[in-house]
Amino acid sequence: MYIHFYLGRFLNYNPVTQLNLNYRIFFSLEVVFNGVYANMRMVHVLTSVVGTKCELKVKNGAVYEGVFKTYGPECDLVLDAAHRKSPEPAGGPRKEDIVESIIFKASDVVVVTFKDVDPNFARKDNFTDAAVSGRVNGEHKEKDLEPWDGGETHTSGSLESLDTDVSNGWDPNDMFKYNEEKYAVPLTSVPLERDNSEEFLKREARAAQLAEEIEASSTYKARVALENDERSEEDKYTAVMRGEREAHALSRENKYIPPGQRNREALSWGAGRQNSPRLVQSSAGPPPPRPGAHDYSPSAGADQRVVNGGPSHWPSPCPSPSSRPPSRYQSGASSLPPRAATPTRPPSRPPSRPSRPSSHSSYPSYPSSSSSSAHHGLAPPGSTLPKRMSSEGPPRMSPKSQRTPRAHRVPPCRTSAGVDFMSHNAPGEVPVTQQSRSSSSGGTWSSVVSGGKESRVQETRQTSPTANKENIKPLDSTPSITRAVCKGPPSMAQDHRKQIDNLKKFSVDFRLQSSSNAEPAFDQMKPGDKPKDPPLDKASALGQEGGGDEGAAAAPGSAQGPPASAGKPGSPAVSAAAAASSSPAGADQKRPGPDVTSQGVQTTSPSTFTKAEGREEKKEAVHEQVKKSTLNPNAHEFKPRFNAQPKPANTPTPPRPQGQPSPSIVVQQPPAVYSQVCFPQMYPLTPVSPGVQSPAMYHIQMPHMAVSQSKPYRPVPNMPQQRSDQHHPPGTPNMMHPVTAAAPPLVAQNPAYSAQYFTCSPQQFASQPLVQQMPHYQAQAQHVFNPVMQGSARMMAPPTHGQPGMVSSSTTQYAEQTHTMYGRSTPPPNDNSLCWAMSPGPMPQQYPHPNATLHPHPQHPQPSATPTGQGPQGGQHGGPPSHQAASPVQHSQHQQAAALHMANQAPQQQMYSPLAPSNPAMNQGPNPQSPQATFPTGQQTLYLHPQQVPHGYNPNHMAHVQQVSLSLHHPGLPVLTKSQLFVISGLQTNFRSWLHWCS
Amino acid sequence: MAAPGPGEYFSVGSHVSCLTCLGQRLQGEVVAFDYQSKMLTLKCASSSGKANLNDVILINLAYVSDVDIINDRTETPPPLASLNVSKLANRARTEKEDKLSQAYAISAGVSVEGQQLFQTIHKTIKDCKWQEKNIIVMDDVVISPPYQVDNCKGKEGSALSHVRKIVEKHFRDVESQKSMQRSQAQQTQKDSTLSS
Repeated sequence: MYIHFYLGRFLNYNPVTQLNLNYRIFFSLEVVFNGVYANMRMVHVLTSVVGTKCELKVKNGAVYEGVFKTYGPECDLVLDAAHRKSPEPAGGPRKEDIVESIIFKASDVVVVTFKDVDPNFARKDNFTDAAVSGRVNGEHKEKDLEPWDGGETHTSGSLESLDTDVSNGWDPNDMFKYNEEKYAVPLTSVPLERDNSEEFLKREARAAQLAEEIEASSTYKARVALENDERSEEDKYTAVMRGEREAHALSRENKYIPPGQRNREALSWGAGRQNSPRLVQSSAGPPPPRPGAHDYSPSAGADQRVVNGGPSHWPSPCPSPSSRPPSRYQSGASSLPPRAATPTRPPSRPPSRPSRPSSHSSYPSYPSSSSSSAHHGLAPPGSTLPKRMSSEGPPRMSPKSQRTPRAHRVPPCRTSAGVDFMSHNAPGEVPVTQQSRSSSSGGTWSSVVSGGKESRVQETRQTSPTANKENIKPLDSTPSITRAVCKGPPSMAQDHRKQIDNLKKFSVDFRLQSSSNAEPAFDQMKPGDKPKDPPLDKASALGQEGGGDEGAAAAPGSAQGPPASAGKPGSPAVSAAAAASSSPAGADQKRPGPDVTSQGVQTTSPSTFTKAEGREEKKEAVHEQVKKSTLNPNAHEFKPRFNAQPKPANTPTPPRPQGQPSPSIVVQQPPAVYSQVCFPQMYPLTPVSPGVQSPAMYHIQMPHMAVSQSKPYRPVPNMPQQRSDQHHPPGTPNMMHPVTAAAPPLVAQNPAYSAQYFTCSPQQFASQPLVQQMPHYQAQAQHVFNPVMQGSARMMAPPTHGQPGMVSSSTTQYAEQTHTMYGRSTPPPNDNSLCWAMSPGPMPQQYPHPNATLHPHPQHPQPSATPTGQGPQGGQHGGPPSHQAASPVQHSQHQQAAALHMANQAPQQQMYSPLAPSNPAMNQGPNPQSPQATFPTGQQTLYLHPQQVPHGYNPNHMAHVQQVSLSLHHPGLPVLTKSQLFVISGLQTNFRSWLHWCS
Repeated sequence: MAAPGPGEYFSVGSHVSCLTCLGQRLQGEVVAFDYQSKMLTLKCASSSGKANLNDVILINLAYVSDVDIINDRTETPPPLASLNVSKLANRARTEKEDKLSQAYAISAGVSVEGQQLFQTIHKTIKDCKWQEKNIIVMDDVVISPPYQVDNCKGKEGSALSHVRKIVEKHFRDVESQKSMQRSQAQQTQKDSTLSS
């Protein structure tokens, strides 16, 4: 009650009091704004004079001076540091005269004078038009606008002159000169005082490390890619590339081209297509896998084209890689089958091919080196190399340009040549491999390429009988591709004619290249690779393939080379192409090679130059192989479009992957991939066995990779941007795949998985330095771009034996490269090149490392796989390679599928990418899965590829990545079809791990 | 409640002249007028003749007579610009510090010339202080009475030469100012009186 009462009272009274309070408050508030404070203008003027000295007179006449501090609502004024001013002039207020502050009541103030007040002192709108114009003194007249008279200098083409006038303000030299003249400040450049003090060395090391880190960062790569991406916006995003491809395809399709010619045509095509895409297509086309390949190759080609056209495969260095990747992918896909075939070959030729692979590896190494150089500019050599890379940038650029221009830019030929070669190689891997080997031996890209072509041709010829249609087709395709590459860029439109011309040129080139390149390349490659790779390669792969591969490569190269040279050399086009490629491409390639080598050196060591060269050669070989492989894979399909052979190649590739199962063979094959030549050689060796072809395909893929890498270096960066995600994904997928592939075995080994893959590749590498390099390339390619992807796909295929092998091979290559570069996380310049676009590069590298270690082991697994793979290889995609058979779908899918996957994956990847955009690897992983799922169905994937093709570049890229991942998965799948899920999950994990590795 | 608008008695912008109870004639443009406090603010040309500056006069009309509106202005006064209060506060603080610093010097027996010189240097170089009757600039240059150029001592260098330039220019300006003020025959200013 009480409470209630009180409450009641409280409540009753409260309202009143509160109301009163409110009123008061309200009132007070009003009061607050009363007085002077309510007078806006008075407030404003008084406020604006705050802080100024003033003299204040009070009623009694006294004057106080002080700093106006503030004022009250009643206009009470406050002066700080005020003192009473004495009537007598005095020096000034003495300290004791000054009062801290005085408050004058308004009623006491008579007048206050503020002297020399700046009315605008506190204005905030100092830069408004009103403020500016209001400050003008005296008469201000609006300036009369006068029409601008550009003068004579601008009368003509003033706009152009402006565009061409790149000068942006003062030229640095002018500035120095001016300062020197006006201030006598001499131009000073203080040379860096080098000393051997610990401090200096530490700093140097630190700087190098930082540079490496920076250059290895995906953001850096992406930016570099942007910077290096010469392609125009239109080229990148709006240009429709299909027309060219279609036109080419149509032209080709309309004409029946004998397998042998197909290669040439394919080359020309490649040239026409300019890009790996074409190559890829061609590669896809390669006859081997042909059945699937045909579809595939066309589709692949389409995909590649799309890819190329799409994003900027070519454009960016990465692009080139990407383009290559695509090509590789396609080729890879095709190559995969080839690889499958290769597996068969591997058995027969493992050694010889290995050598080629080594050459291939050299290619990869090149890319890697280039990539490394690009990534790093660390080591002096590296730096130089990087510079070269940058200088090479053009090559990449050219790749890009090729891509964009593909049909247009001939210069790209170099790069394109490289790319084409790659793709071509992939297509006609077998032939390519041989050729490429020979070419690789040649050392120079051009030489390699030409050699590759020749070898291809030879191979095709040689193998043509047996494996040979594929080989031949591949070869043809490769030639065509190479030609295409050379001319490709320039002549998307002119493709046909140019292709022919290119083919002729290529033939010539081939001769040249084939003649001596392969061996030199090998040697170089080996030396270069040896630094890092050698251990692995030699240890793991070299033992198996090393000698054999080299020998084989050399032999094939020489053997093939001659024939090719003899046969095709005759064709002016080929020679011309060769010349063109050699001169432009050759130069570019060489440069790239150096870069690569330099990169390799950097990564590995300065000494790696030779390696770089070797790599270059390998790359060339790879390119050739790729071209061939692509031709082969595509060949079947291509025949109609590119060359049927290319497709065959594709189909073969899948087998190879399976073939890879056989460690030695497979491993070698991967190397072969690297130096596609190897595969080609393999082909010759096991030409009959489809597997061989597939290997060829693989090789081709590798080449693609290499090519992509070589060009990619820069392109890759670009690619990375565009495809970086994809790349990574691929890489991760690959990784995953390996794991998955390893699934059963791998599963346990998961790490090992990748390792196995790597190992496989390592083995390959070991056996064939080139191969290893190739793997690197592939790995890189995979990691890096679509090219990579393709390559990886191809690689994967090889790995099939162990897809892991493939992957690993690629990875191994990476590893090798990385090995060389090893110490450097990025070592894998290759990786970089491949990875370039993405961190994938790093990942690849990492992979490589693992691979390197793993390689040995993987190889063994691979061997087992290889057999199957080889078996499957016989079948195009699924059939040929036991791999495919076993995990035909997967393997073939992976490898062939890889190619296919590439295509398929591309779509899938695209799909995936959306899903798991964040992690490329993740994407890939998913893609792989999905691809696998779809692919598993197998070669169907090949069919899918066409679909992918529509997707175009992105798809391809994606596909590549996916393919890669798929390939990886596939490998795993083969081993453990069930493992797909594992793979997927594993892939993801692997990817993550990879990513971690990369990061 | 609201006070009459600014323009109720004196429209902003009109020119007004008035005579204070102290016999001082004031004329200027109306800037603000507060009816309640009877405070009128005028803006006049700067007494120092500087074009970009104004003298502001706050007048309590309670002590003023003979208010004439020279010309009225009916136009709407321009909008008021927002003010940077922190800038004003900073100015108030620095002005106060300067004055106190000057007072410190004066109490130390520094001559007017010295004080003026110190102010001049302080405008350019914040790092200056009094040490007894010496002006220490940047802890490097010492200017002792009578604060002439020759009195600048310190380590030979750019700092010393720079300070000398300032001192030299200061006295040159003071001389020119004196002559100008004489010629203009204006109200004696502190400085002029001091200098004279």
